[in-house]
Amino acid sequence: MGVPYKSLETLRELGEVELQEWEEAYATVEAYLCSLRVRNRLLLAELVRRILWNASARRAIEPEKSARVLAIEETLREIGDWTQEVLGEELENRRLAARGRLALLLAGMPDKWQGVFLMPAPWPEAFVDAMRKSYIAAGPSFAELTMVPRPLELNVLGSGAAQWWETMDRRPIVRKMSAAVGLSVIAGLVWFIFFS
Amino acid sequence: MIPGEINKQHPIPITSGRVKARRIIFFGSVLLTNAVAVFWLADLFWTEGNHRAHVPLLIIFAILNGLLVLGSYHAFFGAIEMSIRKRHAVSIMRLAGEGTANLSSRYAVVMPVYNEDSGKFCARIEAIYRSIKATGHLGSFDFFLLSDTRDLDLWIIEETAWTNLCRRLDGFGKIYYRRRRTNDNRKAGNIGDFVRKWGGRYEGMLVLDADSLMDGRDIVRMARVMEAHPKLGILQTPPKLIRGTSVFTRLQQFSMSIYGPLFIRGLNYWQLSGGSYWGHNAMIRVQPFSDFCELPALPGREPFGGRILSHDFVEAALMVSQGWEVWLGWDIEGTYEEAPPTLIDHLKRDRRWCQGNLQHLWLIFARKLPLTVRIHLFMGIMAYLGGPIWFLFLAFGTWLAWDYSHSNLTPLPFDGFVERWFGIGPTEQGLILMTAVAVLLFAPKILAVVRAVLVPEVRRSFGGILAILKSALIETFFSILFAPVMMLAHTFMVLSIMSGKAVGWGNQNREADGTAWTDALRFHAAPTLVGIAWTVLALEINTSFAIWMSPILAGLVLSVPVSVWTSRTKYGIALMEDKVLLTPEEFAPPEILHLALHAEDAVHVALDAESAQRRGVIAAIVDPYVNGVHLSLLDKEHAEMNSVEEALAIRCLKEGPDSLSTEETGRLLYLLPAMLMAHRGVWLGNEDEIHEVWKTAIESYRIRSLS
Repeated sequence: MGVPYKSLETLRELGEVELQEWEEAYATVEAYLCSLRVRNRLLLAELVRRILWNASARRAIEPEKSARVLAIEETLREIGDWTQEVLGEELENRRLAARGRLALLLAGMPDKWQGVFLMPAPWPEAFVDAMRKSYIAAGPSFAELTMVPRPLELNVLGSGAAQWWETMDRRPIVRKMSAAVGLSVIAGLVWFIFFS
Repeated sequence: MIPGEINKQHPIPITSGRVKARRIIFFGSVLLTNAVAVFWLADLFWTEGNHRAHVPLLIIFAILNGLLVLGSYHAFFGAIEMSIRKRHAVSIMRLAGEGTANLSSRYAVVMPVYNEDSGKFCARIEAIYRSIKATGHLGSFDFFLLSDTRDLDLWIIEETAWTNLCRRLDGFGKIYYRRRRTNDNRKAGNIGDFVRKWGGRYEGMLVLDADSLMDGRDIVRMARVMEAHPKLGILQTPPKLIRGTSVFTRLQQFSMSIYGPLFIRGLNYWQLSGGSYWGHNAMIRVQPFSDFCELPALPGREPFGGRILSHDFVEAALMVSQGWEVWLGWDIEGTYEEAPPTLIDHLKRDRRWCQGNLQHLWLIFARKLPLTVRIHLFMGIMAYLGGPIWFLFLAFGTWLAWDYSHSNLTPLPFDGFVERWFGIGPTEQGLILMTAVAVLLFAPKILAVVRAVLVPEVRRSFGGILAILKSALIETFFSILFAPVMMLAHTFMVLSIMSGKAVGWGNQNREADGTAWTDALRFHAAPTLVGIAWTVLALEINTSFAIWMSPILAGLVLSVPVSVWTSRTKYGIALMEDKVLLTPEEFAPPEILHLALHAEDAVHVALDAESAQRRGVIAAIVDPYVNGVHLSLLDKEHAEMNSVEEALAIRCLKEGPDSLSTEETGRLLYLLPAMLMAHRGVWLGNEDEIHEVWKTAIESYRIRSLS
């Protein structure tokens, strides 16, 4: 596997509470690696163990932090450092995280390169190439055109209707009066047809 | 040159004189036939004596019969074009030639989407991509998914589907995705936004709908026509309906497939270079589109004024009015779309189209529009005003029948003109006139069926004579039942628009999952009640009148069960298995349909935002890959967040995404630093610092890996 391991003999005796804490930390780190679609259980177990060892070393220096937080911080740091090394470019921490995750996905780590993930150099050339070429763009560079609406040129009838219509929109009283006239005309027609 | 006309140097061998002659012959025939029918009815009324309903009935008949003749003559002229004048057919697609040389310009395939199933539309893009690739001209095309999706979960799912599609097709830098932050001016605004940003890179754009599918060879041919004919502004294709499973869609599919070609050819007979644009499955030249097709606002507010809803007709009108040509590529075969699965979905879509088409009333009064454009706009408007006019006609007819049955009046003791000239009595005349109207009504169907039976290749493509006859009878039966429901629905739509009610922009239901009885009862309550009341009235008048009215009354009274029954996929599939209502595309599916059916490049287990425990927005925060893809598509300039934005992210973590309003969630999703912080926060936060939804999402990864 090539993953450096530490003997369990070096593990100090843990109390029930601590064991529970590290159990939680284990679960979270495992979940994070699973979310990166590392599916090989052996590899997964080795990586989790390595990260937890590093986290437990930090626990001695940072006792105020929970095992879970330390473990996941260690996971993100380790992935960040490793990604930066593979990408070979200096990126600001925040950008690196997103860029690194995207590169892992686009390079096909979950499908083709699980065995390389978080391993020390040298890495296969194809993998490094794929990682470094992994960018996406929502669109090509702009080639702008202008679209300006031309006003609708109405004939005499249309202009008159538009003026009347807009007046009705602006002044509710005109609208109501027009509706009243319209209804009166319809009522008059109905009367003429049926009762005259 | 008159806009929309063709000069003698035109690459299509038809002179402007012949174009004018075609239009005069077509519309002259329509007007003459209608005038004869109106005169005949007036003569009959005259012999019946004076009645107050006669004048309104005659006016309404003139409009209705005019529309009927207009529709039928499209089929007549189409039939003539298809049978007698095969060699003289005018086809813009001839300009494509047989060459295989590289295209000299670049083209964009654009698909605007709005709250659609991304798996499905990506499958269609994949199929089109592969189909164009097979022609060897992929290098001349770029693809754009232009999202106006408002559902935030669907937005994230779209991003992942697009990424997976690009990964599998190696389509990064070839297939693009962008989502508009605000969907101003709906679909027209979406396309306009594309043109403003990237239009300068392309000679033409193939505009698709989310349910469109087109064969790559035809797309390349369309591009060739664009290059061969520089005055061509829009090249519209006649899409065929596909993938229907409900009875309703299958009926639509079959009728479009068998009757459609006649109407399409008839339309092409007179419109030629003054055609129309139907909103999708069309190639548009980008420069004139950008120069002339930004839609003007109409006077007043919606529903009659404001932004134009049905933009396509107007864009074609603006193009033609500026001297650009708009053609219908009637002989393009590989062009497809899907239909709404149920009657109710169809009517909901009609409500939007109705409002959009009625807005075109303003354009009838616009200056400088060529006649063909006004005719297109008029036909679009009358497609919806026809319903209320037909309703009025039937109402006046019922009144007339009531008066006749309740008075003992006999016809006046003198002959009408027709009786004197031809020696036919009033009763016979009435029957002949009625038969003539029925012939006009059913002639397109009869002509199409006769053609299908007589032409061997068409006959085979529909499964033989028996299958054609069976299917046509079933389709005719249901179209008779649907017609009065549509009539009343259109009447209510027009009334609702006239009362000032504007319609929103809903996404279209494209999946046939059936209509529930309760929904059908609610939706069709009015037609059912009108139908029952009308039946009672008709029986009160007399039995023979009720029998005459029975096809209409049956459609109304049975609207609920018919709507429910035709929405069911199990019956649609049963019909399909019995080889009823099958289309040529189902007997021999073209390659592009196979490609779309087997396309699954948008789905990948590594990048998935559709799991039950972490769907959409949750995945965008929890999942390292979904988060990475989403962040990479955000504007990189917004690098820092303020305290309000930070508080928003913290609230999302502590109280869960449901504690945020849609507007807040939308804002959060656009904030690059906040999204990064949220991703770290979910994984780093202590148990008591994050909401249960995040814990469940995290746990779901382990469950999956252990199962």
